[in-house]
This record gives sequence, C-alpha cells and structure tokens, in this order.
Amino acid sequence: MALTDADLVARVLLDDDHHAFAELVRNHQSSVRGLLRQLVRADVSLADDLAQETFLRAYKNLRSFRGEARFSTWLYRIAYNCFREEARKRKELVGIDEAQLEAEHDPHTTDPALRHDLAHALQLLPLHERTAILLCCQNGLSHDEAARVLEIPLGTVKTNVLRGREKLKRSLAAWDLTKT
Amino acid sequence: MNENLQEDWLDARLRDEAAYVDDGGFTAGVVQKLPARRVRHTLRAAILLGVTVVASIIAYLLSGGGWFIAEEVTRFALLPLPVIWLSAAAATVLVMAGSLAAVMSRTGGRLR
Repeated sequence: MALTDADLVARVLLDDDHHAFAELVRNHQSSVRGLLRQLVRADVSLADDLAQETFLRAYKNLRSFRGEARFSTWLYRIAYNCFREEARKRKELVGIDEAQLEAEHDPHTTDPALRHDLAHALQLLPLHERTAILLCCQNGLSHDEAARVLEIPLGTVKTNVLRGREKLKRSLAAWDLTKT
Repeated sequence: MNENLQEDWLDARLRDEAAYVDDGGFTAGVVQKLPARRVRHTLRAAILLGVTVVASIIAYLLSGGGWFIAEEVTRFALLPLPVIWLSAAAATVLVMAGSLAAVMSRTGGRLR
C-alpha cells in the first residue's frame, strides 16, 4: 500500500529518513517543476534550480508543516517564494525555451498549434493572473488554497482567475472552444 | 450553457498543458544535496554517556583514586565565609548564564 504524504513526512521527521523524503520529491517534482517552468517563462534550467531549492527548503523546514493544508499546497507556497526571491534578484526573467517544452509534452493530447497558442496566451497574462490561473485551473488548488500560497486575499485570487480566464478566452477566440 | 462549455474546454486544455515532467534524475539530485543524516537522539545520548563514563574512569585512575577531591573540599571548607559565599554566587551566575545561552541557541535567539 502506498504511503500518504503525511506518513512520509512523519518518517522524515522521526528518523530523518532520506528514502521517505525522496518519495515525497518523486511524488511532487512534476507539479512543482511544471509550475515553476510556467512562472519563469519556461526557462527550464532556472525552473529546475528553483525546484531543487524548493525541496531543500521544504526538507529544512519540514517541522513547520503542520498538516493543516495539503503538502502540495505547502510546497507551492515555498516554490512561489523561491520564484519571487529570484525574480527580485534578476528583475527581468529570461524568455521562453519553447523547444525544450515541446519535447516534453505528449504530442497526442492536444493539437500542437493550439498548445502553442495557449502557452503563448498564458505568457501574455500579467504575472498575478498567470499564477492564479496556473494554481487553480492547472494544478487544481481551490481559491482558498491559492490565496494561502500567494499570501493574498481570497477575493483577489477570484478576481485574478476570472480576469485571466477572460483574457485567455479572448486570446483563443479563433479556436472553436467547444469543439476542439 | 455555451459559457460553461468554454470554461470546461479551457480548464481541460490548461490541465493538458500541465503534462507530466519526467523525473530524469531530479529526485536523485535533490537527495544528494540533503544534509547528512542526523545521528538519532538515543544513539547520541548513549555516545555522550559512554564518553562521560570512560573519561571519568580515566580521570579517577590518573588522580590516584580521586583523593584530590577530598583534599580540595577540605581546603575550600577552611576558607573564610565571605569567600565561600562569593564563590557560590559566582558559580550560580555562571550556571545561569550557561543555561540562558543554551536556551537561546535552541530557540534561535528568541526567549519566547
């Protein structure tokens, strides 16, 4: 039977079990790296550096995880803080590494042209709207959880999601949204 | 109705965008950078206790059965009373300062 995040966290805290922590990393690396790639405009190596920093901070501060929120929500919050610190340091983040992103997507799930347009439309959104959309619509967080990750009021998250959605729909108006 | 279909479509496409990112050695890289495993508390306590016992035995043997302790206690008891009081006060202050430093180091400098 697979262990839950709570079980794995308990093992790390009790026995400093590196195998348990590796399991946590394995379970969450995809979503954390995916989120960071979208946030840093797909600079894959920077996103992976930030993801590594995220997990190392998570390990160091695991005792502060109280289990009130999901482990993934807690991780997203650390990841977002890492991203903010990096953005502050760099001021301007680098451009899209589309070739690498294309290589890692399953080419059979969606029309490549549509995927390209969606990725482009996402990158055009202001950071606060993009982040809210990524957390709520792509990673399945509730508005409440996203508000906790971003440390902003719930109403602001809802507004950002709504505005982001509207802009995405406008950007993708050329596609027949209900048939594709 | 059409609005809802559009929202569903958009959510589905966004979820597609979040395709699985292959681990590709990422987890191994993170684990490699973790700090070395802590020695378990019980093991640490046993090591400390063992070292203390061994050191005490060595000190006892080297000092000729610990006679120097009895000699020093006798000499201390013969000192004038104010000197004994002063020594006791100084020892108390030292122990308190040590305890305070230990507490502050454990709480990262905060007392509350």
